[in-house]
Amino acid sequence: MNTHTIDTSAPVISADAYDTTAFYADADSIAVVTNTTAPDAVALPSPGASTAQLLAAAQEAGRRAVPGPLAETALVARPLLRRAGLPVPDGPLGYAVAPELTIRYARPAASPVGSAGCSGDDDTLLVTGTLRRVPWARTATAVVVLATAPSGPVLFTLAPDRAVLAPGVNLAEEPRDDLHLAAVEIPAAQVRRVSPELLDEARLRAALARAALIAGAAERCVDLTVAHTTARTQFGRPLSRFQAVKQEEARLIEEAALVRAVVQAAAVPLDIGGPAAHFAVAAAKTQASASAAEIARIAHQLHGAIGITRLNPLHLATTRLWSWRDEDGDETYWAPRLARPLTATTLWPALTATP
Amino acid sequence: MAFPDVVLPESACRLRAEVRAFLDEERARGTVLGRPDSWLAGWDPDFSRRLAERGWVGMALPVEYGGAGRGFLERYVVIEELLAAGAPVSAHWVSDRQAGPSVLQHGTEEQRRFFLPRIAAGRCFFSIGMSEKGSGSDLASVATRAERTADGWRLTGTKMWTGGAHVNDYAIVLARTDDTEDRHAGLSQFIVDLRAPGVRVEPIRLMSGEHRFNAVHLDGVDVPDGMLLGQRGGGWKQVTGELAFERSGPERYLSTFPLLVSLLRELERRPATAEQLTQVGILTARLHGIRRLSLGVAAALDAGASPDTQAALVKDLGTRLESSLVDTVRGILPTPADPYATPGTHPELLAFALLHSPGYTLRGGTNEILRGIVTRGLEQHR
Ligand SMILES: Cc1cc2nc3c(=O)[nH]c(=O)nc-3n(C[C@H](O)[C@H](O)[C@H](O)COP(=O)(O)OP(=O)(O)OC[C@H]3O[C@@H](n4cnc5c(N)ncnc54)[C@H](O)[C@@H]3O)c2cc1C
Repeated sequence: MNTHTIDTSAPVISADAYDTTAFYADADSIAVVTNTTAPDAVALPSPGASTAQLLAAAQEAGRRAVPGPLAETALVARPLLRRAGLPVPDGPLGYAVAPELTIRYARPAASPVGSAGCSGDDDTLLVTGTLRRVPWARTATAVVVLATAPSGPVLFTLAPDRAVLAPGVNLAEEPRDDLHLAAVEIPAAQVRRVSPELLDEARLRAALARAALIAGAAERCVDLTVAHTTARTQFGRPLSRFQAVKQEEARLIEEAALVRAVVQAAAVPLDIGGPAAHFAVAAAKTQASASAAEIARIAHQLHGAIGITRLNPLHLATTRLWSWRDEDGDETYWAPRLARPLTATTLWPALTATP
Repeated sequence: MAFPDVVLPESACRLRAEVRAFLDEERARGTVLGRPDSWLAGWDPDFSRRLAERGWVGMALPVEYGGAGRGFLERYVVIEELLAAGAPVSAHWVSDRQAGPSVLQHGTEEQRRFFLPRIAAGRCFFSIGMSEKGSGSDLASVATRAERTADGWRLTGTKMWTGGAHVNDYAIVLARTDDTEDRHAGLSQFIVDLRAPGVRVEPIRLMSGEHRFNAVHLDGVDVPDGMLLGQRGGGWKQVTGELAFERSGPERYLSTFPLLVSLLRELERRPATAEQLTQVGILTARLHGIRRLSLGVAAALDAGASPDTQAALVKDLGTRLESSLVDTVRGILPTPADPYATPGTHPELLAFALLHSPGYTLRGGTNEILRGIVTRGLEQHR
């Protein structure tokens, strides 16, 4: 496979990533390799993969705590580039929706009103400002940026080495880097004027990708917890034989199933776009973010002390849940946006809009 | 655990539009009032008959028995529309959901020819006679006995919490026919005419004062041979075989949906705060997710599977939502619940939903029992 490889000798996250040690991406496909000593390549979505397949792959990435921006690349950056008509670079990609950037045209048109930089002879941009907490920026070959130029919304690609990178991480120690831009020139070939709807679509894609990752991490919590409560014995019985344990475990299983259902249910609407996409994605991220606390709580409670250590992989899932629920809009961001268009007469039609 | 995401067939989407048009007519008539828990409390046999005229009662029964021969997903669309609208569907509810499919699957040809066309016409209403004073979650402990007679059976015992026994035509009664080593093996199901001699229906009032269910005393009731349903000794298998149907439907998460609609109507009268919108959004997201899971079970049933674990999972999630929705709605728009307020106003609907709320997580198998099934089911899947 012709792939771009992250240097696996220097893992980008802490050394106790249990399953996954390598992440590959080229323009056509993405693969994760689990266990590099006996390569077991899981080829993930290839060109033409449906949204449902991409979501399933993102979920799998979440479940395995893949150390790379698989969901971000496959579900957010690449589709946005294609929408804007820009070529898709090889390798892992980042994204940022940043309408607050200051953008001028680098080659100002001679303007009768003299507002230099407000329109350009071509679309070469000068960009100033900070892209905050860009996922995996330090490993990305390019970051897809949606911003507002004087002419209106634009999408451009940025090579991270053009910016000053201030490293940061989330709770799971996944890279979340700030990129400081001081009048960075973006050549016109890397810029496209886009419709305002593409900004909305970018937010929806990012939220749904994140929700799919949450669904995967939730599933990991279920797997680990069920394995633990059947294997661990106390009072002469496996933990799972105790009513109190069963009751909590079922709630965990159910909450994880619920998150997966809302994510799956957004696949078709995302392709349809419009209000159906808005409803399904807002619901998916609201639910995924809102469920994270309960899922992590029960998984940890049923694991006992071992679960809060690095002797056990549970933290890979729970620290991600606690981070991902906040990223790309938490439930207090999406829930009111879900509710605002709803009235007594439109609530039921909205719930049943997608076949 | 597999939950397929479902895309409803085109036919189901057309059907939805037809049901909505029908509901608009019925609203104009004053029969569909957007009330919570309408599958327990909305008793209107004329409405049931009009629904049957459209082919929407017993609609998954084969055409040769008077049904409409349509799939579970189409039935799903009809009943979810009815429940969301708070339509009065309780008269035919058990006939449509349980008795019909059960007679079709386990009944004799004679029983099918007699009951199914009547069920599909909305003219034959059933109750469930399972629980007893000493048998709730532990249903296999039922003490009602069926003694063999010359030409049938004599039933003695008392069934408890029998919904609609005072207005319905028949009950499917679970009784012990044989004392066997395995206590599950000696149980059988009977179709009991609720107007037969020896049947005494004693009202049990709910805490709201409503009369919805009863104690049904069977004081040596003679039941002809032809009214044994399915196999002698097969009662337990038959009862548990129905559970996926009984547990995963939209009535397991929509019972209080009309209260949410009422809340939105109230919120339209004033600018909603961000906090109110957030809470409404969180409820809506959960409803949406549970609905998708429930549809997944319906699709599995449609495909001939028996997704018992998934059904238990959906029912636990769904009924917990039904009950927490009531308190969340109260929190979003603090309103003193008032059972004597004008019917249909928010304070009255809140009172009604609240007084019914403890039942949501008990009826049809308690949530503690359901969660036991979910955990066991997932362990076995591994
Ligand atoms: C509104 C309503 C309508 C109903 N309609 C009908 C009807 O039409 N026909 C009919 O036959 N029945 C009907 N029922 C009865 C219903 O099926 C029973 O209420 C239910 O099966 C529970 O039985 P129980 O009430 O005896 O509670 P119990 O079984 O006594 O349970 C009491 C509590 O103990 C818990 N518990 C019991 N066993 C366990 C265990 N092994 N592990 C953990 N927790 C446990 C239960 O979860 C519950 O919280 C109706 C009930 C309600 C509320």
